Amino acid sequence: MSEGIDKQILDSYLTALFDTDKAGALRVVQEALDGGLTPEQVVFEVIIPGMERMIGGMISDNLVTLSQHFLASQIAEEVTDRLIPLFATVPEVQGHVVIGTSHGDFHGLGKKIVIGCLKARMFQVTDLGINVAPEKFVDQALEVGAEVIGISSMMVHTATGERGPKRVRQLLREQGLEDRLRIIVGGAPYRFHENLFREVGADAWGDTAAEVPGIVARLVREVRS
Amino acid sequence: MMTGMERFGALMSGGTPDRVPIVCNLLDQGARELGLSILEYYSRGEHVAEGQLRMREKYGYDTLTGMFYSALEAEVMGCRNIIYADDGPPNVGHLVINAPRDIKRLHVPDDLNEHPRFRELTTCIGLLKKEARGRFPVLGVVTASFSLPAMLMGVGPWMELFLNGDPALRDELLETCSLFCSRQIAALREAGADLIVYVDPLASATFIQLRKFRELALPWIIRDLEAHGPAGVIFFNGGGRINPILADIREHAGIGAYYLNPYDDITEARALLGSNSLIAGTINDIRLIDWSPDEIEREVEKIMLAGKRAGGFIFGTLLMPCGIPEENIRALVAAAIRHGHHAESVVCR
Repeated sequence: MSEGIDKQILDSYLTALFDTDKAGALRVVQEALDGGLTPEQVVFEVIIPGMERMIGGMISDNLVTLSQHFLASQIAEEVTDRLIPLFATVPEVQGHVVIGTSHGDFHGLGKKIVIGCLKARMFQVTDLGINVAPEKFVDQALEVGAEVIGISSMMVHTATGERGPKRVRQLLREQGLEDRLRIIVGGAPYRFHENLFREVGADAWGDTAAEVPGIVARLVREVRS
Repeated sequence: MMTGMERFGALMSGGTPDRVPIVCNLLDQGARELGLSILEYYSRGEHVAEGQLRMREKYGYDTLTGMFYSALEAEVMGCRNIIYADDGPPNVGHLVINAPRDIKRLHVPDDLNEHPRFRELTTCIGLLKKEARGRFPVLGVVTASFSLPAMLMGVGPWMELFLNGDPALRDELLETCSLFCSRQIAALREAGADLIVYVDPLASATFIQLRKFRELALPWIIRDLEAHGPAGVIFFNGGGRINPILADIREHAGIGAYYLNPYDDITEARALLGSNSLIAGTINDIRLIDWSPDEIEREVEKIMLAGKRAGGFIFGTLLMPCGIPEENIRALVAAAIRHGHHAESVVCR
């Protein structure tokens, strides 16, 4: 497949993402496969660049909407799940993340978007769901051998409350796990307060879902080093 | 010195009040004020009215908020489980819509006051109206039809439906939600709400691009307000940026007041709206949790400067988190009073 054709495919895919046209985006993916692109090329040269264009608002005059993020992530997850079994070689897992919303928080959208982005970048993800107790984050992270705990909060009190990320940090400290596990947080309150992630005991935060894989990769490297 | 009602009245009739009116959205804090749990507090309209009155008296802002919590609207539409916290707003714990057939089963009561919790809300608004004695406007709050489904089925499934789902099913749901919105506006007005805060986060530029807004959300804003008209309605951002959609709403829905997001530029909003609309500029109230009084003062001064230049200006907060210390609320209102005075004012008495 020539570079020119790849660019055309990527442009068509980006246009569909921009228009939040799921059927259109999936059609581009299927046509790319039918046209001879390998599953690896589709994931690494179409899906992931599409997701990365979301970072910094490279589409739509610097204003990328949540619906565009949502769609890009949803397609990334669906296509990646479908195509990974067809890869010529098993892809290397970049790390393992357990993720959920903080205790008392029933808003799952941000988490869902982040999961799609992580899976497309070959991270293994264990979804703990919504309204997750702090103890469960730690127990599950140990059980599956995760390096990173992701905690999403939509409301201030679930981000800063005593059963939220602060308690997860406390549990890691009490159990001597701080070298083995990192905490990343995300959600609306952190976007309005750039230092809030430190105050709740997290190691990092993600402003947009699309930038999370890069941050998680850094956290995984820290744990593994 | 003018009352809050006179300040709003002056602005709405094109005049200049003695100072910029202040809207301070304290909700769950009322429970702390009365020494009640949040569950107890919201069980009675009398409690919430008392909490609102005490907080307005204590801090000195210009409005009374006749609102319990957003999830109450989902309760009226059939939500059977509300999750209460000690330090934040009650949350939807049961989604009313889990399958397409649930959309067809949705029912909007002819009289919303048949629902016991809604009746407590209108009782609260009635009490606020009575106790305000015309001095402070009572705000009623409704969720727009385009945003209500997020509370009934979850944000993700709703986005999936309105972006790529069955258009007939989407419109059926929106019809029902619009009927609910319209009936709610009528009920809150009848109970005594002077102004209606119309909340539409899903329509904001944070959620959808302008083209989708025009195609999917704007027609429903027009529809929601068709029966009662846009007079006395304030379009509230609900946490998303709204500058990109202001001109369209102004032109097509005729709403005369816009409550911006902290990240919306006030000067730009004025340019987009022209001179005849009111603008509420907001402070980033999550930062009030740990800003010092000096930092609050500087931020308020900055917002007031831009607002007074823009004209037709109201100073506001989003929904103030419970974690904001009392001294910071006092610092906020004191700074807003200090920096909100107009050099020349028209006395409306």
